[in-house]
Amino acid sequence: MKQLWLLFISLMAALALTACGGGNSNESGEENASGSSGEENWEPEQSLEIVAPSGAGGGWDTTARMAAEGFEEESIIDQGFGVVNKEGGGGAVGWSYIAEKAGNPHHLFVASPPLLLIPLNGQSEYGHEDFTPIANMISDYGAFAVREDAPWEDLNELFDDMKENPEDITVIGESSPGSMDHIQFVKIAKAAGVDPQSIKYVSAQDGSTMTNLLNGNADVYSSGVTETIEQVRAGEIRVLGVTAEERMEGDVVEDFPTAKEQGIDETFVNWRGFFGPPDMSDAEIAYYEEKFQELNESNHWAETREKFAWNEMYMDSEEYRQFLDEEKESMQKLLNDLNIQGE
Amino acid sequence: MGSLEGILSGVQLAFSFQGILFVFLGVMAGTLIGMMPGLGPISAIAIMIPLTYTMDPPVALVLMAGVYYGAVFGGSTSSILLNAPGISGTVATSFDGYPMAQRGEAGKALAIAAIASFFGGTVSVVLLMLFAPVLSSVAIVFGPPEYFALMVLGLTAISSLADGSTLKALISAVVGVMAVTIGIDSQTGTTRFTFGNPNLLEGIDFLVVALGLFALAEVCALIINRHQSSQNKGSIGSLKLTKKEVKEMGGPMGRQSLLGFVLGILPGAGATIASFIGYITEKKIARKPEEFGKGAVKGVAAPETANNAATSGAFVPLLSLGIPGSGTTAVLLGALLVMDIQPGPLLMTDQPELFWGVIVSMYIGNIFLLILNLPLIPYIAKILAIPRPMLISLVIMFSMIGVYSISFNTFDLYLLLLFGAVGYAMRLLSFPAAPFILAFILGGMMEESFRQAMTMSNNDISIFFTQPIALGMLIAGFLSFIVPILQGIRSKKKNTV
Repeated sequence: MKQLWLLFISLMAALALTACGGGNSNESGEENASGSSGEENWEPEQSLEIVAPSGAGGGWDTTARMAAEGFEEESIIDQGFGVVNKEGGGGAVGWSYIAEKAGNPHHLFVASPPLLLIPLNGQSEYGHEDFTPIANMISDYGAFAVREDAPWEDLNELFDDMKENPEDITVIGESSPGSMDHIQFVKIAKAAGVDPQSIKYVSAQDGSTMTNLLNGNADVYSSGVTETIEQVRAGEIRVLGVTAEERMEGDVVEDFPTAKEQGIDETFVNWRGFFGPPDMSDAEIAYYEEKFQELNESNHWAETREKFAWNEMYMDSEEYRQFLDEEKESMQKLLNDLNIQGE
Repeated sequence: MGSLEGILSGVQLAFSFQGILFVFLGVMAGTLIGMMPGLGPISAIAIMIPLTYTMDPPVALVLMAGVYYGAVFGGSTSSILLNAPGISGTVATSFDGYPMAQRGEAGKALAIAAIASFFGGTVSVVLLMLFAPVLSSVAIVFGPPEYFALMVLGLTAISSLADGSTLKALISAVVGVMAVTIGIDSQTGTTRFTFGNPNLLEGIDFLVVALGLFALAEVCALIINRHQSSQNKGSIGSLKLTKKEVKEMGGPMGRQSLLGFVLGILPGAGATIASFIGYITEKKIARKPEEFGKGAVKGVAAPETANNAATSGAFVPLLSLGIPGSGTTAVLLGALLVMDIQPGPLLMTDQPELFWGVIVSMYIGNIFLLILNLPLIPYIAKILAIPRPMLISLVIMFSMIGVYSISFNTFDLYLLLLFGAVGYAMRLLSFPAAPFILAFILGGMMEESFRQAMTMSNNDISIFFTQPIALGMLIAGFLSFIVPILQGIRSKKKNTV
């Protein structure tokens, strides 16, 4: 009986260890990682870690896992990859983890507009300036959806109504005020002449956004394009506009009009790319730039993009940095309009 | 209403060799992971995601669903044996399960939990099969005002969770609500009570509080009172239930499998609220409510039936609307998206094999769970025969692993110790921990839905009184809170006269 017990306990312990094993696949061998920077050519000396600063299954997680898969399948990088989820604070927990890895280029992370918005809202001490942009890979866009029986036929009708009776229209989104779902709506609405402060925005972070649109508690749903597709196909909701520059390609989404073609000259890009820790040398940046560009041009990545309905949006390190600085400025303006202030 | 062909293709999938194999593997992995204190369905599914990338989507979904309800099924074990609930859905099980185990009836408590889980799981699969298409419209009737009212109704349980001083129970609950406000406020994005500490931005995880207040506080008590040897070291008692006990379970199981299923359908409510409301309603209608909290058969059967019934219920919004009803189904949804399955209103017509396959596989899964769990009980219950010092170390170790695996953040471990100390202090001062944890679980959602509703109504409070469902629940909540207090006052008066 005693042996049976020991067996059971060791089984439980083993299971528990595998349960958290995914978390730190890469703690060992960090000591010998430094000292290589500054040389002409650089190559990783150990397996690489890609941090998704969110839980498993989300957009960041999927991007990180698909990139790791692409690098391995196309044999672009010989080292092994570990994708690690560092969840918390809308990304802040993962960012402070990477910030501590300054000078160790074996740790990368995936990011998107929250990397600008969360620091601006005073919820993270680290912002994009603290990290090394390596390459942007893809873009996604926002969509504004209403119920099938809603009175508005296009964005202009909605916004005209909002100008007159802002208190009658509830906009719902997943993220907190001042973060992505809110800001993308405000950005477009403001360009159409709606007073940003008059917009009634409700945040539902428990996944009840679509429910509340369908049951009439909210009137407009601000989200990513992909989240709307199934309900549009089922004829439950309509998409009044997307934040893309041009019509998107693909089933269903090709029917979504852009804000631009409705005469509202504004876009919102949900860019997604990869960053490294602070203090990376030029050789290290050059190495990764080349590898990500190779991934971007590979067939495998083209298939991945198609599978998840992502759009190609490649930028190298320098372009990316400039783009981010400009984006941050425009976000800051919107947040000022909304009277949301970080520290 | 789901053509017969669709159901048949689902039956075919579920009874195929692959289907049976993977549902078996799923429920086995789920129930083992669920048994460990601190590891619940979310971690169980997260572990499985990478394994399923290369699988056939329907098979992968059968596997993951099995892991999910398997983990809920097994989750009661650590609550009963160690007072260390691994998921919020089994907190209520510990109220009577742990006293029962301490009384030397661990085997019986586990058997009741297994049978109740099986019953709740199976009844709700039948309901799921019959009504899934119709019920999807029920899933969306609840908006912020209704959720607020539901949370209020749940919170009124505090008055019935108080053993002893109602005042102390209320204080404990208020502190619980206060603790849940720590972190980024969802409606304004402002940080509250974080004192500039980034580790607190996301708030405090439920598991940290539950394992601290229950498991670690119990460990403290065991260490400090180690010289008073407990009367029944390691005795697990008989597994056999008496006829009377089986009879006693019947009522709660029947009622709670229905109620649990309905609550499970509501996105956001889920297993936790189902188990608490199940526990409370049974206590309210019981002929001897004073037995609850001291190891009552009904006190184990009710929450265990309800939480398993709710788990199947949670598949209604997920599969028929593509709306995740809980943290766990959200992870599940993420996993489905990676596999190129987009659950939504059209899933049932587009991929009937997948839809019905998962549902049919749940019957098989529940039977496997019962067969797996019942014979294992004597061995699992033997955990109590482990020498005290070793058992205590194991509980501490598993609690730490469980907490660390949420976010891989050592800060949470310090918080866990802090809550352990708070929990022990509360015991010394005889403040009950149950109201604290209940308020902690419900308080966050209550505040969020209150403020969402207020924004929607432009700060007009009548939004809660003009909707029939919300109003009905608020009245029920008010009565359930005030009646026990009035009764208490009346009986006190009688005593003094």
